[in-house]
Amino acid sequence: MKKVIRPVLRHLFLAFLAFVWLIPIVWLFVTSLSSYKGINTMHFFPDKWSIDNYVQLFTRPDTVANFPAWFKNSFIIGVFTCMISVVFVLMVSYAFSCMRFASRKKLMSFYIILDMFPGVLSMIAIYFVMKLLGLTNSIFGLIVIYSAGSGLGYLICKGFFDTIPLSLRESAKLEGASEYTIFTKIVIPLSKPMIVYTVINAFLAPWMDFVMARLMIRSKDPVNWTVAMGLFNLVQRTLVGDYFSVFCAGGIIVAIPISVLFLIMQRFYVEGITGGAVKG
Amino acid sequence: MKKERESFLRNFIEAFTKGDIFTKLSILIFGTGYVARGQYVKAVILQIVQVLFFVFTFGFSLNYMSKLGTLGTIQREEIFDPKTLSKVVNDYDNSLMILLCGVIGIIFIFLYILLSLSNVKACYELQCLKKDGKHINTFSEDLKDLFNHKFHITLLTLPSIGILLIKVIPILFMICIAFTNYDGDHQPPTYLFTWVGLENFKTLFTSTSTVTFGYAFVRILLWTLIWAFFATFSTFYGGVLLAKFINDKKTKFKKLWRSLFVITIAIPQFVTLLLVGKMFSDYGIINSICNKIGLVGFLQDIGLVSKGLSFIPFLSKPGWANVMVLLINLWVGIPFQMLSATGILMNIPEDQLESAKIDGATERQIFRKITMPYVLFITGPSLVTAFIANINNFNVIYLLTNDYVTTNMSYANSNAKEVDLLITWLFTLTNDYSNYKMACVIGICVFVISASLTLLTFTRMIAGNREEEFQ
Repeated sequence: MKKVIRPVLRHLFLAFLAFVWLIPIVWLFVTSLSSYKGINTMHFFPDKWSIDNYVQLFTRPDTVANFPAWFKNSFIIGVFTCMISVVFVLMVSYAFSCMRFASRKKLMSFYIILDMFPGVLSMIAIYFVMKLLGLTNSIFGLIVIYSAGSGLGYLICKGFFDTIPLSLRESAKLEGASEYTIFTKIVIPLSKPMIVYTVINAFLAPWMDFVMARLMIRSKDPVNWTVAMGLFNLVQRTLVGDYFSVFCAGGIIVAIPISVLFLIMQRFYVEGITGGAVKG
Repeated sequence: MKKERESFLRNFIEAFTKGDIFTKLSILIFGTGYVARGQYVKAVILQIVQVLFFVFTFGFSLNYMSKLGTLGTIQREEIFDPKTLSKVVNDYDNSLMILLCGVIGIIFIFLYILLSLSNVKACYELQCLKKDGKHINTFSEDLKDLFNHKFHITLLTLPSIGILLIKVIPILFMICIAFTNYDGDHQPPTYLFTWVGLENFKTLFTSTSTVTFGYAFVRILLWTLIWAFFATFSTFYGGVLLAKFINDKKTKFKKLWRSLFVITIAIPQFVTLLLVGKMFSDYGIINSICNKIGLVGFLQDIGLVSKGLSFIPFLSKPGWANVMVLLINLWVGIPFQMLSATGILMNIPEDQLESAKIDGATERQIFRKITMPYVLFITGPSLVTAFIANINNFNVIYLLTNDYVTTNMSYANSNAKEVDLLITWLFTLTNDYSNYKMACVIGICVFVISASLTLLTFTRMIAGNREEEFQ
């Protein structure tokens, strides 16, 4: 008897947890299919179903919502941030992990300390620096902001490089390979999980961040906004009554590129987070 | 570290005293040392750098640096000119630009001095090579070296320029602001601001009936630490337990369960958090359900909800809101922890588990004595990082308590709320009240807390020679 009950209880418990975790997601989904535009406070499921919110999102951009443009902007920012961040992190990690030069440790500690300053604090100053360079109100400026400081996040990747056997690099050196060759032909091919980890993090940043974007992009025309900025704007007090279900539809659509990225890289992601830590 | 700096200076002095006339001259005119040894291209490049620096300093930043002492004296005035019938603005000082460009100018001077010192050293090395009759690199050989022995220079240059632009300059600038009176009443370009010394730090620790920063600061600091502690450990243990539960041999459909939890990660945090915030709002869906099943009445009877309210103040009353953000954070954080813990659990050496089983250990013993220590050993450093990340966890608090209004005047006077972390308080101060000076003081405090925590745990990792242990 006990043998039957315990597995059932175990799976019932998991099912209950999964249920709790999925409630908001399900609500997001069903609300996005509601024909009522505001927040439904009385019933969990909508009274009338329709796909009008999605249609509105893609075909009827108005003065506060222009989803296709937001999506395009965020996508461009995501792709470029991703590429620059990956290159920067790999470069800094290789220099710190595999090369020995004067004041290496000094620079490493300096970078770690720099990384500890609260980002929210320097935001205002970054705005003034960008204004000085004439890069506010532009997608290019946001790419610079998201990717330029990425070299500071070298710690995990360096830990990973530290675990690559020294003999591998030394034998390459004996064969006459330069550091550049070792970096591009040996170390980079070995660090796939690290690259995946950095790609995911860097690609997600512009989809999640609305504070920095709102500060940098002062344009009142929604064509210039990013997805995060635009969706955040839709649930502000004055708009939420007319746009809440549109916001939900937007949330569902945004999940698509992120899920696709996850599905492709899920296997690497788990390896990537822990790969460096497990070995060292 | 000190030794390194000393030897850098000593090397320079040695190079400078023993160098010949060309080496000595190279401190004033960068190219001379290279011209004398036949490295013409390098000489031209360095000369151009030097000229550019002088053009920048004398043409641009010196103008601002000279006013750094006062941060400007001439206030902006508009005078109506009756002749042209238009407003004329005087040649005013902009304190903000003076501070920003002054900081940039000083950084450039600092870099210039470093460059000129190491330049003399490089010229001296060339001089020695020539004297000994050894081979002096041609320009193309120097370029090749940049991809071999000096590859780190090539690697670090671009990232470092980015860090200088996005991190170093803003941080120095904001530290300076903490010592000025830059707030809503002193906003450039219309008004000037100036240095006030340690005045703002004093304000942070005073509590009177009108200035309540001291009152709010102590309480918010305490709540920040409590929040960081509980948020870090609750999600950590929750994540490990869940991963353990799912990975157990007796659990069927492992992949299905895992993906059900991972789905919540796929939707951006700001969407789910705003949504959950709306669900738990005073007249939101959770409250109408609680009303229907009579939970509100029950809570009123046992005194957890005051009689005057017809809803449960999940996110709108102190106490309630503090607990709710911690609970909602579980919802956000556990799937992430579950994912990374899954990877770690899979790597636990099988033989240890097997031998423990043979020795007759129960499952709970195995979990407590083998699994947990192993997981802690691996994730220990990342727990510190997570703790600091939680001190700076802006999104969860800001998005959930966006509509929270405090009724405590002592908090309200300093623009704070009971559920604020230092970081969200700082953001409200700058974004809604333009109180930059106090925000910067708070920012410095946050930095000191995070930095001392990190230094306590990480110094061993950086200072020791552990990094080569596994190669």
